Amino acid sequence: MDEPFLGEKKVVKQSGKARLIIVDTTSDVRKDNDTDVIVTGSHGGKVGGDYLSKLNVKGVISNDAGIGKNNAGIASLKVLEEHGIPSATVSSMSSYIGNGTSTYEQGKISAANEVAKKLGITVGMAAKEAADRMFEALTQKAK
Amino acid sequence: MKEVHKIVRQSGKRRIIIANSATSIDESNKNDVVVDGSHFGRNVGEMAFNAKIRGMIGNDAGKGLDNSCIAGLKVLDEHGVPAAAVSNMSAIIGDGTSTYEEGEISAVNEAAKKLGITVGMSAKEAADKMFEGA
Repeated sequence: MDEPFLGEKKVVKQSGKARLIIVDTTSDVRKDNDTDVIVTGSHGGKVGGDYLSKLNVKGVISNDAGIGKNNAGIASLKVLEEHGIPSATVSSMSSYIGNGTSTYEQGKISAANEVAKKLGITVGMAAKEAADRMFEALTQKAK
Repeated sequence: MKEVHKIVRQSGKRRIIIANSATSIDESNKNDVVVDGSHFGRNVGEMAFNAKIRGMIGNDAGKGLDNSCIAGLKVLDEHGVPAAAVSNMSAIIGDGTSTYEEGEISAVNEAAKKLGITVGMSAKEAADKMFEGA
């Protein structure tokens, strides 16, 4: 039995099977999101990276949680990079943690992995633009 | 797939448990003191309240925009539930064991203050105070 969703799951864009979706918590991402770019309100720690790489999502933007000890707040970037998944974080001073819509609407990119950088995603960019770049790359690939 | 919680202290039905993610907390954690690796944003406070936990310690995630990373402390305070956060420079976010073993308290709500929990205290001691508190 599937666990109930803890927050909202919003589809912002769709093209064929590819979607750009927003969640408040990474734990709301499920198996059927393996064709999607995910914008989440959760921190970008390792635990989320492990979960999302297993689900084989197609892109991730999360909150850097102040980056913190040993850069733990952005540790998922590397995990996702190892799986070829573009990922970036927004500064915890730019948006409300735990609120995926705030990540998407207000977030400013604070860190990006190599796969994301190849898509032209840079520090200081709006999360919306970064998400668009991930989504466009995904739909281009499908063509 | 539900996370398996670590029980670090137990006396009768009273427990201190460790979770990496606050989203793994549910009604089976009623009356538990929960030490977790998540940020303590508003949504986490709501999850904790819905699970009727006894007390909670999470990660302050650098506090963030408008202190949104510790907004859950206030949510729980409104229901008299003690809650505290550890500094994100003291513990690894997403790792509940790190919160418990390495965490240093950086923020507390009023209900936690009443139990003698203060900024600078170790998370372990704060969890014990929530466990022992009335």
